[in-house]
Amino acid sequence: MSEELQLKIEEFLLKNGIEGKVSELVPLTGGASAETWRFTFSNKNKSEQMILRRGSGKKSPLAVLKSEEAAIQQKVKSSGAPVPEIVAISSDDKDLGDAYLMSLIPGESIARKILRDKKFSEARQKLAFQCGEALAKIHSVNLKDFEQVPKKPIREELDRLYLTYKSFKQPLPVFEYTFKWLDIQNFTTRKDALVHGDFRLGNLMIDESGLAAVIDWEMVSIGNPMLDIGWMCINSWRFGQSEKVVGGFGDLEEFLEGYSSISKEIIDHEEVKIWQVLGTLRWGVICLIQVYSHLNGDVNSLEKAAIGRRVSETEIDLVDLLFLGGK
Amino acid sequence: MMIFDRPTSVELVEAVSEFLLKEIKTNLPAHLAFKTQIAINVLNIVRREQENKELLTKESKEILLNLLSNPQEANIKELAEQIAAGKLELENKELQKALIDITKKKISVDNPKYSTYQKLIK
Repeated sequence: MSEELQLKIEEFLLKNGIEGKVSELVPLTGGASAETWRFTFSNKNKSEQMILRRGSGKKSPLAVLKSEEAAIQQKVKSSGAPVPEIVAISSDDKDLGDAYLMSLIPGESIARKILRDKKFSEARQKLAFQCGEALAKIHSVNLKDFEQVPKKPIREELDRLYLTYKSFKQPLPVFEYTFKWLDIQNFTTRKDALVHGDFRLGNLMIDESGLAAVIDWEMVSIGNPMLDIGWMCINSWRFGQSEKVVGGFGDLEEFLEGYSSISKEIIDHEEVKIWQVLGTLRWGVICLIQVYSHLNGDVNSLEKAAIGRRVSETEIDLVDLLFLGGK
Repeated sequence: MMIFDRPTSVELVEAVSEFLLKEIKTNLPAHLAFKTQIAINVLNIVRREQENKELLTKESKEILLNLLSNPQEANIKELAEQIAAGKLELENKELQKALIDITKKKISVDNPKYSTYQKLIK
């Protein structure tokens, strides 16, 4: 399988005017909805590491197509945010299907290593500030360049999440409570922005000096930028280091300082809390989507089956945030 | 009454889990070792659920009876529906306590090492 894929990549790159050899093609454990491969590409001038991202070809309600993801990434890169360079985009089934190739940014994406390995101890000090900065840059891109990106106003998005949750017919009292609670919150109106949608450890490449790149743009949308800020601060993405609110490594103050070094938006902690609640619920519904894609027989996957029992992690985080002073 | 002999279902699950951990996982490349660990985690959920489900269900039933009074209605589905319909108000402290207590029981089976659960039982 991987030899065949190797030839396909070579042919596809040649079609794009890039001649050379593919070697050391290895699958990476990555996102649940896409395949990710790493390989070495070499010709007489150079040898470099590249990444192939390939979609299933099925349109998902959560994710944009890989070819769209790549086009968005290219435009974000020109705005100065740290994003890997796109090498070529395939939207034709005859080539690689819905896929793209990008250069590999050296660094680590596995959260537990970033949070625990000594070699990242300096990076961890600056990371919250850098994440705030990078998000503010992403949120300040000119939306005229992103007309194809789906618009997701937050109230509509909440309605959609509720319908999705209801469609599985699995009653979850904590989710019902949280949807009702969110209904009566005042969301500060903010200017629409490009929202990454899954900004957290796992989707960030980190090197010894900190944030090297923001990857995995498949949940991108146009909407309220607070979604990314709340998402980065939920306990689901602290990987056990729950006393550090931002990603298990940083404090909210540093994160917001980094954000306001670029953006003029004023954000207070109470507002972040509402978006943490929303983010935790959103992750809970995404877990349900994943487990029901297994239970409905669309995919047969141990990982997806197991994720169903992570819904209670989001429930305990929700009751902690709502009733027990959780942060 | 139980017509099945030992090993009990819990003991069988434990045996498979040990086998995966000690004989299989150590000999696999990283991405398959990762999946094997997921399989082990799943078996541990099954074990904890088998060991505790009677007690946890009984205790949850009592909480629901207190809150919903009508014994025919004392189930999770009804609780969800009454919250959705606004029959139980968000400020209701007993409702809040019930949600906390039932969620703790669920996570004690699904993932007792989870940080928030550990913090809350301290």
